[in-house]
Amino acid sequence: MKAKLAWMLTPLLVLCMSFSFGQEKTVSGNVTDQNGLPLPGVSIMVVGTSNGTQTDFDGNYTISASQGQMLRFSYIGQKTVERTIGASSTINVEMEDDAQALEEVVVMGYSTKSKADVTGSTVQLDSEQIEQIPVATVDQALQGKVAGLSITGDSGTPGSTTDIRIRGISSITAGNDPLYVIDGVPMANPNLSPAESGSSLSALSSINSNNIESITVLKDASATAAYGARGANGVIVITTKGGKAGKTKFNFNSYFGFANDAIDGPTPLTGAEREMLFYEAVLNSFGEDYGLSNIEEAGEFARANTSYGADYQAWRDAGSPETNWADLITNKNAVIREYNFSATGGDETSNFYTSLGYFEQEATVIGSEFDRISGSLNFSKDLSDRFTFTSNNSASYSHQDGVLENSAYFSSPRAVKFFMPATDQAYNPDGSINVLGTSLPNPLWIAQEDIDDSKTTRIISNNAVTWDTPIENLSFTSRANIDYIVYNYKRYRNPVRGDGDSSNGYGWQANRNYVTYVFQNSLDYSFNLGESHNFDVKLLQEWQKNRSYYLEADADNFSDTGLTNLNSAGNPTTANSTYFDWSVASYLGVINYSAFDSRYVLNGTYRREGSSRFAQNNRWGNFWSVGAAWNVNRESFMAGAEFINNLKLRASYGVTGNAAISLNSYQALLDFDSDYNGEGASYPGSFGNNDLSWETSNTLDLGIDFGLFQNRISGSFAYYNRESKDLLLDVPLSLTTGFADQTRNIGRMENKGFEAEINFDIVRSNDFNLSIGGNIATNENEVLELAKDLNGEEINISTTTDRVESGHPVYAWYMPTWAGVNPETGNEEWYVNGVDGETTTNFNAAERVFQGGSALPKITSGMNIHIDVKGFFVDASGYYAGGHKVYEGWHRYTQGTDLYPTALYQGYNTLLDRWQKPGDEARFGKFEYVGRPWQRHSKFLYDGDYFRLKNLTVGYNFNSKFTEMMKIDGLRLFVRGTNLFTWVKDDNLKYDPENIDLSGLSDGTNRGETVLTTPPVRSVVFGVNLNF
Amino acid sequence: MSFLLAGVFSCTTEDLNPALDQNKEANGGITNVDNLYAVIKGAYSRMTGSGYYGRDLIVTNEVRTDNCFSNGNSGRFTTQAGFAYSNTTGFFWDDAYRVIESANLIINTDLSQLEGDQEYGLHLQGQAYAIRALAHFDLLKQYGQKHVTGGVTPGGIPYVTTYLSNQSTQEELFPPRNTIEEVRVKLFEDLEMAFNLMEDTGDTNFFSKYAAKALEARVAVYFEMWDTAVDAAEEVIDNGGYAIVPAENYVASFESDGGSNIIFELEFNSTDNLGGNSLGYIYRTTGGGSYGDVQVIDEVADIFEDTDVRGLFDGTNGILGYEGDMLRNIGKYPDNQGYDNVPLLRYEELILNYAEALLNTGGDALTQLNKIPANRGASLYAEATIENILMERRKELMFEGFRFEDLVRTGNDIVKYSIQQNFTETIPYGDSRLAWAIPLAEMDANSSMIQNKGY
Repeated sequence: MKAKLAWMLTPLLVLCMSFSFGQEKTVSGNVTDQNGLPLPGVSIMVVGTSNGTQTDFDGNYTISASQGQMLRFSYIGQKTVERTIGASSTINVEMEDDAQALEEVVVMGYSTKSKADVTGSTVQLDSEQIEQIPVATVDQALQGKVAGLSITGDSGTPGSTTDIRIRGISSITAGNDPLYVIDGVPMANPNLSPAESGSSLSALSSINSNNIESITVLKDASATAAYGARGANGVIVITTKGGKAGKTKFNFNSYFGFANDAIDGPTPLTGAEREMLFYEAVLNSFGEDYGLSNIEEAGEFARANTSYGADYQAWRDAGSPETNWADLITNKNAVIREYNFSATGGDETSNFYTSLGYFEQEATVIGSEFDRISGSLNFSKDLSDRFTFTSNNSASYSHQDGVLENSAYFSSPRAVKFFMPATDQAYNPDGSINVLGTSLPNPLWIAQEDIDDSKTTRIISNNAVTWDTPIENLSFTSRANIDYIVYNYKRYRNPVRGDGDSSNGYGWQANRNYVTYVFQNSLDYSFNLGESHNFDVKLLQEWQKNRSYYLEADADNFSDTGLTNLNSAGNPTTANSTYFDWSVASYLGVINYSAFDSRYVLNGTYRREGSSRFAQNNRWGNFWSVGAAWNVNRESFMAGAEFINNLKLRASYGVTGNAAISLNSYQALLDFDSDYNGEGASYPGSFGNNDLSWETSNTLDLGIDFGLFQNRISGSFAYYNRESKDLLLDVPLSLTTGFADQTRNIGRMENKGFEAEINFDIVRSNDFNLSIGGNIATNENEVLELAKDLNGEEINISTTTDRVESGHPVYAWYMPTWAGVNPETGNEEWYVNGVDGETTTNFNAAERVFQGGSALPKITSGMNIHIDVKGFFVDASGYYAGGHKVYEGWHRYTQGTDLYPTALYQGYNTLLDRWQKPGDEARFGKFEYVGRPWQRHSKFLYDGDYFRLKNLTVGYNFNSKFTEMMKIDGLRLFVRGTNLFTWVKDDNLKYDPENIDLSGLSDGTNRGETVLTTPPVRSVVFGVNLNF
Repeated sequence: MSFLLAGVFSCTTEDLNPALDQNKEANGGITNVDNLYAVIKGAYSRMTGSGYYGRDLIVTNEVRTDNCFSNGNSGRFTTQAGFAYSNTTGFFWDDAYRVIESANLIINTDLSQLEGDQEYGLHLQGQAYAIRALAHFDLLKQYGQKHVTGGVTPGGIPYVTTYLSNQSTQEELFPPRNTIEEVRVKLFEDLEMAFNLMEDTGDTNFFSKYAAKALEARVAVYFEMWDTAVDAAEEVIDNGGYAIVPAENYVASFESDGGSNIIFELEFNSTDNLGGNSLGYIYRTTGGGSYGDVQVIDEVADIFEDTDVRGLFDGTNGILGYEGDMLRNIGKYPDNQGYDNVPLLRYEELILNYAEALLNTGGDALTQLNKIPANRGASLYAEATIENILMERRKELMFEGFRFEDLVRTGNDIVKYSIQQNFTETIPYGDSRLAWAIPLAEMDANSSMIQNKGY
């Protein structure tokens, strides 16, 4: 960014250009820093031409130029040097540290600040930490790198959405997703998929992470207040790569590798085990009545007298063949690969960055993959001395071949893995797929026949003109951004077996156009009052409008197999279209004051924002923040303490907002998407609330940043406290109103915690470096206040497993407490009062109580280590989350001691630890010939703590001798492993600890539960990165 | 650079008005009688939901009886069939009150302010009264404490008569329970209004004049108001023009819509149906392609004579049939995607209500009772007794959701007689499980609500 700014000044310098011409010759030399160490990558330009080069790894360069021309040497963190070419063909340069520029620059979205001027909590990742990570959506690269940021995935299906939470949960029923800002523009990145029963598709998956220069995560109010209403959940600022002037440089990078499930998950029972447990259930239930004294007799009785027993007889007759469905639905060593080619270059007045990328990832389940082709062109041009035009454009086309998931749909391969009996056969004796003979649809057939396709085209064009006004340091920028997403969905269900067999085939197609326009006008002005008082002021006006068009149709009764478009369906069943829009208007003012060489920094932000989501009288909200920083190390009294390179105390406080509720929800509406008797019908669709307005969050952030011993030890400590007020809460209504809830501004919730980041550069030298770093964050969430009904009683929100009540974390686990299996009777028992003492076998008689904690981690931590020796390097990073609990979904079917795992579906081998005779101490009670109802209780609530080795990369950077020989600028080869190792605290948690649905379905079911979707993958890729 | 200025003047509050392209504002959205017609269709549509008459209300009242059980094929209805439900087991409380809300919107609308045919408006309001009564009656039967020994008081359910919106008072928004007697009085008031306001249209997909009367007969039988039941039934028999479907058409009548025996039914078709959540989908597996949880108890096949068209399918007639060794309802709601209409009021049920009322008032119950077996290929009864009437009701109305209430309202136990039944021992009359728990969501939201005994 700094380099780019430097080039923007060049038009002025052009005027000083020397006009002496001479004979063209080759100039060479060596560039070092002030310690005499060679500087690779220094940009060298012949002033006034487009001729330029860079120094190599040893700081050497050669360039063709004429005597009398001027060479300009520039490098980030060094003062720019200019030398006129004289008679000598050698120009060696020793560059000097630029104290100002050396400081890291933090991209805040609307603005850029030097690190010293930052008063809040931000974390910035540069391109090296983002590129060539084998994931489809870039947000997945953030895990473990940002203190206080937690990520869980509803699904590991490539391209699907993730749940990102920054510093806990700020809202109970409104949205908790952070805001994305790309190149200074707030962007919407919704789930595009219309199918709740299919794979989700994040709009973010259309962005190629290799085009990203940096990602900054803004956590506190002083940083996020600029985004006003939408800043309360944190802001993720993405900056794409800009052009770098000089000779055109090319980069090619690629990797190729294989992926498997990071965790295999529970192990299903074998057919023989399943059969044995079934006979045991028969023995326990009917033994007395029918005089059965052992398993063998029970087996004989069952095979002769029950339909399930008859199934086992047939299985025995076939020779008891075992089928491993888990193996069959797995796409082993799923291929993952990416190719990127980019070029950057430019001259005095213009520069560009352009790229072409291809990414492909097969899912680890059969019949699913994701691929994306993307291109970008970022271009900047000085139109005249005073006008600069920049245009950042990207376009991508992605295709997701999804699967049926998100529940335990019979045709979902992930459900089949755990639900299909091992006694069912995948293939017929002749080797063909057993289509009709399995109890659930055969996933091999479904993968072959059924279609779940998403196709997305996304074009983002961000164009700005900056005018350096005649008033010194006053510039005006106008920006227009268009984000256009065209989305196509196609579902087809074959007529032979599965979800389409009862309607002779089923088809569904949908089309979505999602357009967002942003217009921004801004004024930037810098001035100083005397040398010691610097002011930066920004005024900005923004208008954002989103339009969403949607069209869908479905039909059944297909005329022929093999034709899957609606065209060949005989019975159209749905034609539907929707149109929604939303808009946001804002005015923003930011002032930054730094005094005495940034020893003291004060800043203030004010944003006034209006949102279409609220009634006219409540549409506008005011958001603000103040921040202060004291760079103690710049004080004269610290001059003696040379080992302190950086010491900053900072504090910020501010008010941000949240408006993430359904569109039009302030209005009491009649809906018309209903029909009866072949005609349209209407019904009261939303209760409405004319008083609805912004939810606000008041955030206090205190921190210390430090750097010691030439920044060999650096880090920060921070404390935050965020109180969300006037929550946009879906307050339950009496169901007698005909509505479940009404959105109101009521209630308060608090999130607070500590964050620490630290990095040790243990060894720093030319050919050996070693650094270790990490971060840790705590989060304590508490609901402070909720709505009350007319009797003054607090209105709580409950599901069968969690509850919202003041004094507890939001969605705190709340259910009966399991008291274990009675060793005498083999019955599962629960505590009557939910805590201790008397037990009961009647589940409905057991009190529901808080179980402590929620699904949101109380502690998250990231760790990383870097070693490089003579070009070889090792990078490793890990992630830990803990203090939370997760609930096992679907245990009724897979972990029941009844007919579900033994006769109807399939169980896990954990069931073998069951009660068989009096005196047995077992985790599972006695098997019985019954089908038990859903009984959710603490037995299936597990500690969620886990550690995961997110990344381990080993590689080699070829040295300059080799690269010179090959006439290239750099070459790197690496092997990268992702999720190679996982530790889970609770032995009972067999599913992947990240495969948790944090938000659940719209009615709260599945919230915090393990889900039957594709888990995160463990991958190994081999990569190359070539610069030339 | 036109966009330089585009934003400058556009950030006014009005510019932030969201589009409203597919909804109307509830206040002021109803200006014409035709708008009310859309809303009444919305009320019927809500009744067709799988949580209500689309499936759950009907099936729940079959699996808890001596007719059906849940084999748990897809895990559905085992909780209900095992009487193991609690305050978190969903049932139709919310669905019924949504129907009531739609009805109240129509009833509370001042017709004189609307354009259009006022007479027609009254007919629509009459339908709304009938719908409101039906939904409250269903709620009372499932949630009321009438048949629970030592049940809580008031033991009725909130009888909601005003359209509730964000303009309503707190008292209206958090109603307490009414007594059973209060509910009874309001039911008859609503049914009287319905009968008086409606025309006899003959359109069986909607409530009409005699449908309200037929419902009144059913309600009167429930409250053992025998004279009222006799009067209401005779009004329908004399003026409604309905007829019992003859034996040869009985099975076919469930495959087609309407018919002389249909007083009122909910309409479904090939484009408006419940698919996988339909009645057909839960009653059969259709070769493995449907849920098929609700199976018929083996012994049920034995209660029908061989000649009875309602018994085992014999190649031409029969409601019962086998899928493998599983006894199934194959004749009612035969389409497994739910294309078939769901009858709510059949003339045969009215005749049986009439017979029961006559039995209790000393009238000629036997003649009325025997009209049914006479048209089913079954032997006639020698005597009209409550046992015979209940048996005939069981045979005639099997799988249509009547059996549970017929047992309970007549003071019978739910007898455990088959190993297939999901509950382990007989549920005695008066057991608290005969009434459902008020949903937890209602208890959380409304502290004026009293939970039923035993939950």
